[in-house]
Amino acid sequence: MFDTSKVGQTFPPFTVEVYRNKIDELTTAIGDPNPIYHSREAAQAAGYPDVPLSPTSPTLFSFWGNRNGGRNLASVGINLARVLHGEEEYEYLAPIYPGDVLTGVSKIVEGRHRAGRDGSSMDIVTTETSYTNQHNQLVLKARTTIVVRE
Amino acid sequence: MTTEITAIQAPIKRYFEDVEVGEELPKLVKAPVTHLQLVRYAGASGDFNPLHTDPKVGEMVGTGGIIAHGMLIMGFVGQLLSDYVGPTALRKFGVRFKGMTHLDDVITCTGVVTDKYEANGEARIVGKVQATDQNGDVKVTGTFEAALPHKSA
Repeated sequence: MFDTSKVGQTFPPFTVEVYRNKIDELTTAIGDPNPIYHSREAAQAAGYPDVPLSPTSPTLFSFWGNRNGGRNLASVGINLARVLHGEEEYEYLAPIYPGDVLTGVSKIVEGRHRAGRDGSSMDIVTTETSYTNQHNQLVLKARTTIVVRE
Repeated sequence: MTTEITAIQAPIKRYFEDVEVGEELPKLVKAPVTHLQLVRYAGASGDFNPLHTDPKVGEMVGTGGIIAHGMLIMGFVGQLLSDYVGPTALRKFGVRFKGMTHLDDVITCTGVVTDKYEANGEARIVGKVQATDQNGDVKVTGTFEAALPHKSA
């Protein structure tokens, strides 16, 4: 069960580099044929300096960059086998392009228990990760809410 | 606290003046979700939860077979927004996951502009988005905010 005294806890920072080929892979899996995501030349021809992030590309920073994400959640009492994704939200604050090196800091911003009708209980926990780039500029905030069935 | 927004070098897809409150985004109908797509999405995104790729695990946990990553469906809605305003115009994009998506489901993404206003020296539009399957079951609901240039700028 989630330890509600951990709301406000911040986890150690992680770094992640933005790779062009991961944006290509992700948008290919999504089935988005827009050429700006699949080639630098096409992106530049369209007026971008390089391949831009697709709207959900920040998920790459979470799964590939935040290698301790699972362990962090387990350390505050969350049973990873029972996690469902409840909500995901991004705030895009400044441009991010391939070659940028981002530093992410995750914090538990909300967490509570909720009793189910059948007497079971669930935890609803929101983590916010703030990303700064190599120029120490805040570029992105990602909020993830998970639902954990006890 | 205010956040300063850096000017973004990017092509202009749509002007503030061209968008009306109540306007619907061009609907996006995706191809049926396939097992191969989920395997591909797992490898691309780094989310290797076997719930999304291993049919045996899907049976075991009672989801009626493997289910799609919620983030794949958010990605579909992201494509809708990317097509509408371009990726670098987006300022906020958030969704709530409402239902599981199974193999062969055909997801349709829709959206509507709900507001227009000026903030931090930028002209912004706000809207609601949704993803539903072939039966009309809602998989994802969400909101977005985008910064659009003025025609005179």
